[in-house]
Amino acid sequence: MKDVFIAGAALYQAGRHYGKNIDDMAAEILDKALTDAKADIDALFVASSTTELANKQQLLGAYILESLGLDKIPVYRVENGDGSGGAAVALAYHALRSEEHNCVAVVGVDKPNDVLSNQQQDIYATTLDTYFERYFGFTPLSYAALMAKMYLKKYEYKYEDLARWAVLMHSHGVGNPYAYFRRQVKLEDAVNSELVSEPLRLYDVGPLADGAAAVVLCNNKKEGPRILSIATSTNAMAFSSRPEYDILYSLSEAARRAFEKAKITPRDIATAEVHDSFSVFGVLAVESLGLVKRGEALAAIKDGDLPVNLSGGFKSRGNMLGATGVYQIVEVAWQLTGREFKRVDGNYGVVHSMGGVDKISTVVVVGI
Amino acid sequence: MPIYWRNIPHYYRLAARRCKKCGAAHFPPVVRCRCGSTELENVELPHEGRLIEYTVLHQVGTDFLKQKPLIIGLVELSNGVRVTGQIVDAQPDKLTPGTKMEVVFRRVIVDGKHGLVMYGYKFRPVGGI
Amino acid sequence: MSRVGIVSWGAYIPKYRIRTEEVARIWGDDPMRIVDVYLVDEKSVEGFDEDAVTIAVEAARRAIRRAGIDPRRIGAVYAGTESKPYAVKPISSILVDALGLSNNVFAVDMEFACKAGSEGLVAAIGLVESGRVEYGMTVGTDTSQGEPGEHLEYSASSGGAALIVGKDGVVAELEAMYSFVSDTPDFWRREGSPYPMHGEGFTGEPAYFRHIVGAARGLMEKYGYKPSDFTYVVFHQPNGRFPVRAASMLNIPIEKVKPGIVVTHIGNTYNASALMGFAKVLDAARPGDKILLVPFGSGAGSNAFVFTVTDVITERQRAGVPTVEEMLRDKIYVDYAQYLKMRKMIKLFE
Repeated sequence: MKDVFIAGAALYQAGRHYGKNIDDMAAEILDKALTDAKADIDALFVASSTTELANKQQLLGAYILESLGLDKIPVYRVENGDGSGGAAVALAYHALRSEEHNCVAVVGVDKPNDVLSNQQQDIYATTLDTYFERYFGFTPLSYAALMAKMYLKKYEYKYEDLARWAVLMHSHGVGNPYAYFRRQVKLEDAVNSELVSEPLRLYDVGPLADGAAAVVLCNNKKEGPRILSIATSTNAMAFSSRPEYDILYSLSEAARRAFEKAKITPRDIATAEVHDSFSVFGVLAVESLGLVKRGEALAAIKDGDLPVNLSGGFKSRGNMLGATGVYQIVEVAWQLTGREFKRVDGNYGVVHSMGGVDKISTVVVVGI
Repeated sequence: MPIYWRNIPHYYRLAARRCKKCGAAHFPPVVRCRCGSTELENVELPHEGRLIEYTVLHQVGTDFLKQKPLIIGLVELSNGVRVTGQIVDAQPDKLTPGTKMEVVFRRVIVDGKHGLVMYGYKFRPVGGI
Repeated sequence: MSRVGIVSWGAYIPKYRIRTEEVARIWGDDPMRIVDVYLVDEKSVEGFDEDAVTIAVEAARRAIRRAGIDPRRIGAVYAGTESKPYAVKPISSILVDALGLSNNVFAVDMEFACKAGSEGLVAAIGLVESGRVEYGMTVGTDTSQGEPGEHLEYSASSGGAALIVGKDGVVAELEAMYSFVSDTPDFWRREGSPYPMHGEGFTGEPAYFRHIVGAARGLMEKYGYKPSDFTYVVFHQPNGRFPVRAASMLNIPIEKVKPGIVVTHIGNTYNASALMGFAKVLDAARPGDKILLVPFGSGAGSNAFVFTVTDVITERQRAGVPTVEEMLRDKIYVDYAQYLKMRKMIKLFE
């Protein structure tokens, strides 16, 4: 089997792109990525969480290719909720490893700002069980809040300790030209922000943003950042039936497999982009990845920095739902090579892309 | 309306699925038990339990805009099965893990002026607080 | 097996209350005068996610729990209400699935203003007595509305009461039953109209009193009862004054009526009014007590029932089901704005 390299990429600045249609926005960024890669693709994987529900567009990939005038290319639309990005990269990777294709592109695009905030909550809630959770008005935020409450009690942290996550994310995001929010925030701002689902406040929630990202993967190159392994795992336990609420089960398992295949340990990781759609998920991800011991993540960020979410994470870079996974791959690759980001000291980076409330996680190990 | 109608046993009577082979009860219902058996029977969950944890949700979806904030809780029923549900008739600052809860029958979603009124289970603290 | 009678009872009062003085404050009435005229201090208010259906389910669930019977043995279910969420779609069928009744059940919703739940009792008695069904259930439930700013608003409230009828395990045997009906337009609500119209004073003499007294006196004369035969007398309670006057018109000592009065604390729950008073009495009654129950419905008509309490009642009273007294005490006050929101009276433009 041939190795898979990241040949090129492009990111749209995260934000409110009221003036762009979803297919055009994706087409623009895919065009930039293809130019960057100096390659032609023979398949396209499309990651999106909201194209059908917010934009009423199925077959999105076909319309992206139409917008680029690229005919006869196979297209596959991948949906794993807000983990669609990681999943699409995984399938692209497998397609290349099987040598069915030589160069493929993964495009992630989502435009949550095309609908109102309560409609955004409706759409996000479709990542929960539609009959037994969404029907009753639960949302991913409400579950994150329950988990946060239990975590803070179990490890005897104060809310202030959790609010530090937002401060850390913003301090990282200042250095990311594609981030939604590029400014520092003070701990008081976070602690005093509006309660959205107690104990979680506005600053614990990654703001939904429109975004598009594209990455070109090839198995006929010999240099550049390489995907060392990918693993996806599903947590088949209903939220109400989980034995514990301070582990991300899907991530734990996916990380274990991905690290084993790549022959690395958490200590080897120079940079990690994790799925902090809500602050507490970022905290649990750091622990479930094995970067710190269970229960210690908030203590770790109290005392110092962590090489986690150098992009600013969902809080500062933004939550572009299904597209975010593609952003994350590009961010890690660029952090390892010092492109657009400050170069990190090390050879391995990890991406954690998650769908729903710890339902499905994809872990990607990137190396140089 | 078929989506609502077919879930009536679950929404009205908390019909769960119990594995005939190992006895495990599953709610939400499943097709296959973890032990591997697909021989499951309907069993109705008890109407009492204790609160494990709760949150007060302010950012709600469209159907609940006029009812915010919603109190959402994880409750362990008296047979050990855990269920998440809205908590009603309660003041959040008087709720605490361990509070006794009972199942009540309430409106969940009303489909506008002309559509169906959809009902389901919610929880309420016992003994009034 | 004994004669047909009540096997079990259950009631439900929503937790919320609004005081008469709060309503009076909004509409510029003198609260002291209102309380004096109607003897209603406060009334029950249903929560935003409650309606006549949810209230019926709760009352019926309690009755079934108290009875300790398998719900599938109930062969008939009647829902009496004048505040259905649907003009067409029965509550009784929702009860079938909410309570786990058998699909082989006779079910219908009934309407006779406040008397529908009581007529459900008559129908249940009929089917049980004839042997067609083993148990029958009636539920009186309402979230009754009065036009804001109008006096009916002080009393129109929400609640439900359910009775299970059978021949086995009877706590109150039926001794006699009577009715008095005539076309008397004292209170009505046209199709499509949100609030009822009523004839003010006309609702008294020609309506409530004529039919209540007509039914009670008719029963007593036909079956040879005297007021002294009864331990308790429960009337329909549109306010706190009418039942007292009815008692005096029938020469019934007021002490026999007081225990069944709930209106002062929760207002007029319409189809649950007399039945809830009856439930309150059953919560405390002793074997041998005789109860005269006289519901009334506008339009107009009254039923009269005589029940004798049996030994079985003691065990049923201890079933661990909330009593009416407990429910009367279990309350949270709301202001007029919360009241409007909860009762879904704030209309949004569509």
